[in-house]
Amino acid sequence: MSVTLTLAISWIAPLAGTIVALSTIPPLVALYFLRLRRTRRVISTTMLWTRATQDLRANAPFQRLRLSLLLLLQLLALALVVLAIAQPEADLGESKATRVVMLIDHSGSMNALDGIDGMSRLAEAKQRAAARLRSLHGGGMFSGPAPSVMVIAFSKDAQVLCPFTDNVTQAMHAVESVLPTDGTTTLTDAFELARAFTTVTNPDDESVVIARPPAYELFSDGIIANMDRTVLRAGERMTYHSVGQESTESAGIGALAAARNPERTDEVQVFARVVNWGRAPLTSDLEVLVDGRLRAVTPAPIVVPAAGKDAAVDAAMGGAVAGEMQVVFPSLSMLQGGVIEVRLAKNDALIADDRAAVIVAPPHPLKIALVGRGGFVMRSLLEGMALASLELFSIEEWNRRMTIDAQSPDAFDVIVLDNAMPDSIARGRYLIFGAPPTSAGIIPYGTKSSTIVRSIREEHPLLQYVNLDDLFVASMTAVAGGAECEVIVEASEGPLILTMHRGPLTLVYVAFDPMESDWPFQRGFVNFFANALAWLAAGGTAVADEPLAPGDVATARLPAGAHDIAMRDPGGGETPIVVQDAGNLSYGPLARSGVYRLHWSGAKGSSGTNELAFAVNMNARAEGRANAAREIQFATERVAGVQGGAITLSSLWPWLLLGAFVLLCVEWWVWLRRV
Amino acid sequence: MSRLEKVDDLIDSRLMARLDGLDVVSRKIFTGKIQGERRSRRRGQSVEFADFRNYSHGDDLRFVDWNIYARLDRLFLKLFLEEEDLSMVIAIDQSASMEGGDPNKFDYARRLAMALGYIGLVNNNRVSLFGFGTNRIERLTGLRGRRRTREMGQWILDREANGVGGFTDGMRTVALGGQGRGVLLILSDFLFPEGYEKGLAYVAGRGFDVFALQILAPEEIDPARHGLAGDLRLIDSETGSETEVTASTSVLDQYTQSLESYVAALRDFSVRRSITHQVVESSVQLDTLLLDYLRRRGLLA
Repeated sequence: MSVTLTLAISWIAPLAGTIVALSTIPPLVALYFLRLRRTRRVISTTMLWTRATQDLRANAPFQRLRLSLLLLLQLLALALVVLAIAQPEADLGESKATRVVMLIDHSGSMNALDGIDGMSRLAEAKQRAAARLRSLHGGGMFSGPAPSVMVIAFSKDAQVLCPFTDNVTQAMHAVESVLPTDGTTTLTDAFELARAFTTVTNPDDESVVIARPPAYELFSDGIIANMDRTVLRAGERMTYHSVGQESTESAGIGALAAARNPERTDEVQVFARVVNWGRAPLTSDLEVLVDGRLRAVTPAPIVVPAAGKDAAVDAAMGGAVAGEMQVVFPSLSMLQGGVIEVRLAKNDALIADDRAAVIVAPPHPLKIALVGRGGFVMRSLLEGMALASLELFSIEEWNRRMTIDAQSPDAFDVIVLDNAMPDSIARGRYLIFGAPPTSAGIIPYGTKSSTIVRSIREEHPLLQYVNLDDLFVASMTAVAGGAECEVIVEASEGPLILTMHRGPLTLVYVAFDPMESDWPFQRGFVNFFANALAWLAAGGTAVADEPLAPGDVATARLPAGAHDIAMRDPGGGETPIVVQDAGNLSYGPLARSGVYRLHWSGAKGSSGTNELAFAVNMNARAEGRANAAREIQFATERVAGVQGGAITLSSLWPWLLLGAFVLLCVEWWVWLRRV
Repeated sequence: MSRLEKVDDLIDSRLMARLDGLDVVSRKIFTGKIQGERRSRRRGQSVEFADFRNYSHGDDLRFVDWNIYARLDRLFLKLFLEEEDLSMVIAIDQSASMEGGDPNKFDYARRLAMALGYIGLVNNNRVSLFGFGTNRIERLTGLRGRRRTREMGQWILDREANGVGGFTDGMRTVALGGQGRGVLLILSDFLFPEGYEKGLAYVAGRGFDVFALQILAPEEIDPARHGLAGDLRLIDSETGSETEVTASTSVLDQYTQSLESYVAALRDFSVRRSITHQVVESSVQLDTLLLDYLRRRGLLA
């Protein structure tokens, strides 16, 4: 049986050690060449000795170096001191922590192909994590008891692949099971997850942590956002295994949007933003494909400026700011819906962000029903839009119609309720002003006056180009929504605008009558009206204009009777989906970028097909930077990375100095015996 | 062995008794100044016939051989060897190089000088002692008869070995000293910085029957056997010069060869000039040296 002991040593100060070695060892040896500690002895004459030694001296200033125990001991002691100055660190096959959390980054930047033989960073990280696992459990003369290991994969979110285990095979399988994603990177969730598993408090005093903090082993390229808000707690140790090359440069599509021309709905305008993280300007063609066919190319290669520096930028991103360029393509003729893809002709190590896609729905003029008093303001707004049809109903007419045909809401894309509430709103898409939809579970509990807006969700599609800063509401209905409700605008007296989705019912509720406010006199009201109609109308057909990001969940409403549902991912793989709620489907998170296609058998969807497409685009601005970081700057400390399989290292200099001291004692003892 | 402190330390009564029967023998016949107990080249009045020569005017008629005249009718004068005293010169090396060795070379030389001088005095020879190697040549001359023994011993006892070289000057002084011809005994290690050649040449051409007794310490002859080892800084006792030596086997062999060649060169030099050379190790018992070695070399009989 053979035992192999691998001792990996890295040096913190190799230059200092080299300088000291060169300045001390040769002089020491030279001393032995030049002078020996000789015993003085008076003799009759040195004449005969001079004759005897003159041949041996051969007129050389140095004598032949003879084997000397003292010299050997001194050289050994000096060598140990020199090594100590160089501050070696070695993997002694042990981790002082009894628990080790392996954090494996599988974000989009980890797909960069800059490893050995074109290996991706994630593949390299998995290899090194597996090697680290073997070393932790490998034993050897310096090895202590093997620690328990937890494996967490993180990108946009963190996921525990293997809870603390002593079973190396289980941990190894967990490492091997890490799949690539194109998501962004944040370490905060991973830390929270790990700490949730590792923090053990005193039952009598929960403020006292009685468990020893784990040792973190981070396998990443160091491109992690929000590091300035991430801290290592007292006692936590982090070993950063850096993968990837610092010199890798990349560019990608930072944003992509497509919109039909409102005037000519058969034409689509495509907008793209190209970002460049490289140190040199990027020159490349930009191509536009519709359903996989090349439709346009930039007339001349675009030149994207090189990345710059900005101290205000997240330090974890190296203070770098990507060079950007906006590109607007000539209008494309698209009578039907389709997938528009924009890609850089010049690929780099990170391919996923070199292309982006967007789903364009077919032109679909809306059918709108306006129920209620049919006020001037709303009727004027609707009449000014390019609608397929606009029908006006009083509340009585609408209730009567619903009594006759409960499916009548499906005849309209959106029903606008102008301070009127039907007896039942079980299905359909509603934009409701004023009267609360009690039958939908939104419970009123009073009326409030003189309300101002407290907070809004600016990123919500409903609020695009909507400014509510100056909104004054004279009277509003205070309501309480259920779990299905999502508050979009919060007023000082309660929810002001909220959405609700329950099965075939989707609604946007505005908890005040616009005529009881100054909103109709603001431009934001018009924009909100248009946004609400578009959002409600698109909710059941496809993700029309807004691509998803890796890690998002795709939602869709399928026609009744749909079966054999499956999702085809960008790689061509099929995933069968079993839907409990016949009308609604959620799928995700969508790990990779590209176009996902949901298809089913049975009734066709509103688009007239049995397929829905979802575009998932990697965010080149957040994750497209590919030059790996050799160290990680946390909020309070900096962690240097180790490469090439270097792992948890122990300082050897105290042992080296102790060895040097022992050798000097031995040398002193030998010297005393000689003199 | 303790150092010499009094005259009795130089020679004991037991050795004196054994030396009483010895006499210094010269291979040459010298002309003495006064009538002694040995033959002289000077024709004289002794009973030992030497030669004939023609009678010349003024010769003492008592030495005419009348029997020859009767047979040949010519006058021949009968010549006889005249018995004269022997001049015995003992030169002691007082250079610092003698102050070394175990047994001490200088002590050994002084005891040897005492014994030889005693033999000379007992046999009524004219004994002179020279000490060379210091700034000035020290001497004690004209000793004759057993009663001068203590005086000679005290002089020897007062000598110190702390000089530098001086062999050449010392031998020149001896050669020109007018001590009469006789036996010259040089007691030295012959390790002189200036060399021994010029000094010996002075006395070799002056009719002395020269005996060069080269006294060496045991550690000089075989340093390896007497504890010389390791890394050494050897300091010359006379010049103070230092030589760094690592007493390896090869160096010790080289030293032995160097010593042997040095002694051989001294012997060759001596032989060519009718000088008797004898290496004397200071560890050899004095009576053994006198009664055995020197008798075999023809110095004593």
